[in-house]
Amino acid sequence: MGIAELYMEEQSQPVLQTYQLTVNYDKTPVLWDISLEIPKGLLVGIIGPNGAGKSTFIKTALGLINPLSGKVEFFGKPLKAVRQRVAYVPQRESVDWDFPITVLDLVLMGRYGKLGLFHWPSSDDKAAAIRYLDMVDMSQYGHRQISQLSGGQQQRVFIARALFQEADIYFLDEPFTAIDLATERIIVDLLCRLKEQGKTVFVVHHDLSSVESYFDWVIMLNMRLIACGSIAKAFNPQNLALTYGKSYALFDEALKLSQNKTTGLT
Amino acid sequence: MCLCAAIVGVFIFLRKQSLLGESLSHAAYPGVIIGVMLAGMFQVSDSQSLAIPLLIMSGAFISAIIGLWVIHFLEHKVKIRSDAALCFVLSSFFGIGITFASEIQSSHGVLYKQVQVYLYGQAATMTDIHIIIYGFFSVLVVGVVFSLQKELQVMIFDRDYAKSLAIPVKRIDTTIFILVVLAVVIGIRSVGVVLMSAMLIAPAAAARQFTNKLSVMLSLAAFFGIISGFLGNYFSIEGSLYLSKQYPGVRLSIPTGPMIVVVAAAICLFSLFFAPERGLIVRLIRIARFRYQCLYENVLKTFWRSSGQDGVSIESLAKYQTISQTYLHLILYQMSRKEWIAHEENGLYRLTTKGQQQASKVVRLHRLWEVYLANYLGVGAERVHCNAEEMEHILTPELEQELTLLLNDPKIDPHHQPIPPKE
Repeated sequence: MGIAELYMEEQSQPVLQTYQLTVNYDKTPVLWDISLEIPKGLLVGIIGPNGAGKSTFIKTALGLINPLSGKVEFFGKPLKAVRQRVAYVPQRESVDWDFPITVLDLVLMGRYGKLGLFHWPSSDDKAAAIRYLDMVDMSQYGHRQISQLSGGQQQRVFIARALFQEADIYFLDEPFTAIDLATERIIVDLLCRLKEQGKTVFVVHHDLSSVESYFDWVIMLNMRLIACGSIAKAFNPQNLALTYGKSYALFDEALKLSQNKTTGLT
Repeated sequence: MCLCAAIVGVFIFLRKQSLLGESLSHAAYPGVIIGVMLAGMFQVSDSQSLAIPLLIMSGAFISAIIGLWVIHFLEHKVKIRSDAALCFVLSSFFGIGITFASEIQSSHGVLYKQVQVYLYGQAATMTDIHIIIYGFFSVLVVGVVFSLQKELQVMIFDRDYAKSLAIPVKRIDTTIFILVVLAVVIGIRSVGVVLMSAMLIAPAAAARQFTNKLSVMLSLAAFFGIISGFLGNYFSIEGSLYLSKQYPGVRLSIPTGPMIVVVAAAICLFSLFFAPERGLIVRLIRIARFRYQCLYENVLKTFWRSSGQDGVSIESLAKYQTISQTYLHLILYQMSRKEWIAHEENGLYRLTTKGQQQASKVVRLHRLWEVYLANYLGVGAERVHCNAEEMEHILTPELEQELTLLLNDPKIDPHHQPIPPKE
């Protein structure tokens, strides 16, 4: 197939497709039978109550957690084939900020995957890293130790690292938690710019009031997939009640009972 | 060996698994005994031969790997907490080793001596063969760590992210653990099972105090490791010579292994206290100096406020500050040396013009900040005073400039007091 045909084929594929994804933590189900399709070039918000499995969903898609059953495909291919095109911004609290590393070195981490073993970042890489730091307005902090940064600054450096990967798909886990307004604006601007470049961005989000203004598409999760579609179609009061509401109280009860029966020494 | 242990130790330290070195070195002990027993079985008695150290090393290596595997099993399959698993392996393996050792003590006295050497280390009796073998493995360990540096950096900092970059996290983990075991096994001959973990952690902990870059930390830890080895040897030899001269009757000597550890620990202690920026003493000094500055400026303000009268007595000053008379005298003395105050004949103190300027600077900062809090952050006028009391000592000239611009150079503070102008 020529380049043109490959390109056309990819244009028709959804960016992310999951088939009956089920994920357990020990014996407790966290995600149940998630099947969805996301088209290209959208800003997608992943929302749901605490413990609904939003972070788990991202981590499973990225291959960090093994699903009990089900499949995940990017552009119609498994993760292994397209790893270089996927970038991940983890939750800030999952990281040890006391580690001895400077801001610039943290951004450079973004290309360690591409460089592989025994290859070190070149001066071109360093120059590019500074450019991306500039995009998040952090270039004057290049040599600062990361423990000396505020929450918003840390988040910006994380985003610069993901931008540095120059991927096609971005997964961000709760980037808007506990940051200042200036940082939030910078991040939203950057995400819009990514969308204009045809990238697809997935964001785990917790603040319902900003969903409509930030995102085009929404995935609503509460262990099961409640809804997945454009804001106009899916983000409505009925779905919100289903996601956050009490209709699943019975299911919760049954779940707790099964947890009690199956937990042993853990 | 010290170099090798120090470099590997940096990674254990950063992973917050410092107990691992202790565990593994104790887990290696039964292997040492078994190696010696095997040597005994094969009637290898020539102490210069290659067989004994190799056997012992392999024995130690294998039993440490088994220990590592047991730790891993306990942590991941049986879900025991990390520190409990490490301690369990440490004590149980060591106990097994000691049991074997007492067996040997009775049956193979000569070989038992060899075993003792590994408990506390005996660098002095190492032969060339030892040095070649250990040197080779040390270079191997250092080389591998050096080339895997950046992958290790990502893995320890943000394991999930490393996985998302397709870094083979499990394989690198296993490699590093094997290297740790190698470093431990190499080291126990000179430093001994009991003290080995110090050589892994002390140089790393010391290096952390001086830098924020991983590559620098590795070089520093290596440097500290090497110095400890060198100075440890030096002091043990010189010390033993000195002692034998002073007390010729008694056979006193300083063993090398422990001496190396003492040097390493001393370096570590020094770094913890005196390293620039992070050292404890350095921080305490910084805090004390800042406190002094605050007091100083507060006294200045008191002077400023009571201007208009002829002078201020010490008693009225002391009323406003909660410090001892002597301290107050000290401050006043310092001020008069700088010609900020003048001591009158009637025992009172008065601000000079220089002093006036200094005082009005502080008051200006205080009142500017109050205006900022009240007008921009909507804090009530009753509450701005306390915060401004702290901030006045911290605001820099640049911040003062910005505040003046932002607030349009205000002339009155929220309490309707005048704000001293900028010079």
